[in-house]
Amino acid sequence: MQIERIKFERTGGFAGIRIATDLKLDDLPDEQAHTISELLDDLDFGELPEQMMGNANMPDQFTYTITVETKKWEHTVTTGDTSAPEKMQELLQLLNRLARTQKKQ
Amino acid sequence: MHKRSPINCIVPPHVLRNIATHGTDAQKNLAIETIKGSAQMRGQRQALAEFSVAAFRVAVGGKERVIYDAKHGSSLPGTVVRKEGEAPTADVAVNEAYDGSGYTYDLYNDIYQRNSIDGNGMRLDSTVHYRVGYDNAFWDGEQMVYGDGDENLPEAERLFNRFTIALDVIGHELTHGVTQYEAKLTYSQQPGALNESMSDVFGSLVKQHHLQQTAADADWLIGQGLLTQNVKGVALRSMKAPGTAYDDPVLGKDPQPAHMKDYVNTLNDNGGVHINSGIPNHAFYVIATELGGYAWEKAGQIWYVTLKDKLTANSKFQDCANLTYQTAADLFGVGSVEQQAVQKGWAEVGITVGGTTPPPDTGGGCLEALLRLLGAAPAKQ
Repeated sequence: MQIERIKFERTGGFAGIRIATDLKLDDLPDEQAHTISELLDDLDFGELPEQMMGNANMPDQFTYTITVETKKWEHTVTTGDTSAPEKMQELLQLLNRLARTQKKQ
Repeated sequence: MHKRSPINCIVPPHVLRNIATHGTDAQKNLAIETIKGSAQMRGQRQALAEFSVAAFRVAVGGKERVIYDAKHGSSLPGTVVRKEGEAPTADVAVNEAYDGSGYTYDLYNDIYQRNSIDGNGMRLDSTVHYRVGYDNAFWDGEQMVYGDGDENLPEAERLFNRFTIALDVIGHELTHGVTQYEAKLTYSQQPGALNESMSDVFGSLVKQHHLQQTAADADWLIGQGLLTQNVKGVALRSMKAPGTAYDDPVLGKDPQPAHMKDYVNTLNDNGGVHINSGIPNHAFYVIATELGGYAWEKAGQIWYVTLKDKLTANSKFQDCANLTYQTAADLFGVGSVEQQAVQKGWAEVGITVGGTTPPPDTGGGCLEALLRLLGAAPAKQ
């Protein structure tokens, strides 16, 4: 599935500082766009449940909201540090870093 | 027959209690036996009963820490790297987590007579080196978890150091555990901001107690040392002056209010739990400063009893103000300087307690009330 756009937001955490980014894959370097597409495919992102918060009442954890858009569908998933699936860790780490970089610009 | 130990006649009870709490197993047992023995000898039944309960709790679990290493993965708790009584390792984060959880245990145990998070000697588990580039720390319901900050970024881009670097962060996380066992404040909106504020208050008190600082000497910062030199800021929060901890092109500005008129309504961060905590944080700072001396003694005691016995899951700021005001009367008397300080602290953040009339009698003025009833004393205004 051709992914066009990915929106990412991280809120909460000990510092309570929000970071976010809104990426069009066409604007990213090819390699990065490829990596993101692969990670989303591996996760079968479109089929993930919308809410993956587990026990939401967990002090100081981050809340992550990821929205993925393709030509055919748009899907948003909300998850947290200890409730995110292990195979999502690499994606979260990459998006964190992109959000941080974008905020700096 | 109880065999009397040689330390019986020399060592005062409070020292014995310390040994019973902090000594090796053999020392503990000896101290416990001694406490029991001397109490029996003196025929102090009450002392014996109290000491036996305390000694039993100590025997089943005093200060017991275990530090784990997640090795930058996300599975918890990870590999054991240091246990209670073991020598420091070469890993600074491990040692900070060990020492910091120990200092936190000490504040609760020595000052508030609380044996660990659950009040019953619960083992203090901490995991360091959680994930890669994890600029956070949290309490997962059972243990503390610490990231290393931005260790994966080039030095010039790093904003956060490792989270064990600040002792008050460690005290903050452990206090989430205490709150979980006591008031059980819901982690959302005002109850959530109170939950956060309790963690900041006792986190700061752990640091002040360890450094033996008075309210006037303390920095009242949360997360001092956590921000790298790339950030324009001194810490993550300031209880003394909420909203002034950082102002940075990348991180933005510290959003904490210090007054109800600036209360932030937001859906983010569970309804701004790390933002609006600035309001009760500042009230505590004002009260502690007003009372002077060591903040953990009076202000801390009022807050601890309120957290343990009065607050409930859905308590809001006004409830907390009313309950701390009531607790101050219970502990120090109606109209005491302590109770007046509590009233003043909340007033400074825009929350009124006790009204403008004198506080109601809650048992402190029995004689006066009786005399009033008999018409021997003038009625209160």
